[in-house]
Amino acid sequence: MATIGAHGITARLPAGFEGRIFVRPASVGVTYPVGQFATFPIPDDIGDFGSGAVSVMGPSDVFATLFEYGPESVGTALFAQQGRPAALAESDFSPMTLRRGIPGQSGTQWFFTESGRPFSFYAVLGSHSLRSALVPHVNTLLSSLTLSPAVVNLPAARPLWN
Amino acid sequence: MIALVIVSTFVVLVLGILVAGLLRSHADILRALHELGAGVGDPAARPAAPAPVTLTAPASSPALGDAPAVAGITPTGDARAIAVDNSDDFTLLGFLSSGCTGCAAFWDALQEPGRLELPDRTRVVIVTKGPDREVPSEVQARTTGRVPVVMSTDAWVDYQVPGSPFFVLVDGATGQKVGQGVARQVGQLAELVRRAEHDRGHAGGTRERGEGSAGGPAREAAADEVLAAAGILPGDPSLYPRTLDDVFPHGRAVPAE
Repeated sequence: MATIGAHGITARLPAGFEGRIFVRPASVGVTYPVGQFATFPIPDDIGDFGSGAVSVMGPSDVFATLFEYGPESVGTALFAQQGRPAALAESDFSPMTLRRGIPGQSGTQWFFTESGRPFSFYAVLGSHSLRSALVPHVNTLLSSLTLSPAVVNLPAARPLWN
Repeated sequence: MIALVIVSTFVVLVLGILVAGLLRSHADILRALHELGAGVGDPAARPAAPAPVTLTAPASSPALGDAPAVAGITPTGDARAIAVDNSDDFTLLGFLSSGCTGCAAFWDALQEPGRLELPDRTRVVIVTKGPDREVPSEVQARTTGRVPVVMSTDAWVDYQVPGSPFFVLVDGATGQKVGQGVARQVGQLAELVRRAEHDRGHAGGTRERGEGSAGGPAREAAADEVLAAAGILPGDPSLYPRTLDDVFPHGRAVPAE
């Protein structure tokens, strides 16, 4: 069981999972941390929400993204839920909740605020018909995440004599 | 006088033999250092002779043990964990250092899979020691972004890496190490993977992963089974749509963005 952590997100990955936590270089504006986790090898050049990955996953695979939004989202209605969902039910997954509709797959997406940070958790099942076996994996992953308060980059101390 | 000339000649001969012996010994030492990758220049660029394969081949050592996940940080400070047992692919772990002379050729080759000519479905991961032993900016200077680079001292400990460059080949279907050792030439890596692939082919050790990774007849059979269960048999009109209305008889569904 591997543990990874960066940018205030720590994941104690369940067996079979791999993952990465990163911040994309910003060409314009500001970017925020993204966590991607999967039970299959994650290609390097995929989209934040798994485009390029969900198309290669098998029926028994799971893919999940934890996406942080900017601090301006805190307090908005979309992120009103405090804390991640405790556990997801099979009924939370729907073939219609996919950013890219792939036959057989299903997904779920949740918006919440935790440790003062606005997040979206998006998970995809490789096969909706296998959801009874796959949803527990998603829940194990979800419970393995530790989200810390955002690190504030304070400006460097100025010399006291000036 | 004659005696003096004879003695001088004898001394010169002895000294000549001594110098020749020292030069030969020095050459042997230089040759040995060169073969170990510690010579002057790039040893991989112009190998003097076919070096012996020091990688432990799959057939000669079938039980090298389980391969743990590799977890650490990237040179840019992100986090990365690679599970080597979650696919049927082979994973080639290259344990390299930023300052190792013998690693230079492998840094370049491993990040150009085409040049390395590895068999298909071989995943390459470069593992350096963690930031406690490596300077991230120096590692970053060697990376191209084409393959994952994980900085993890724990991985070096887990895999009992004696030094760099060192390579471990993992069979994802079993999660077992199937080859490991020191490669002196880039070509040895492709040969190692090919031999492992050949051995696995004879053993038939691929893992069942469902239709997503199945190909050819297996995938076709699985699709036929699902269609038959849904009452769609060979020749069914729905298999031969002519218009979009045939494909979407109830209207087109728009996936959520």
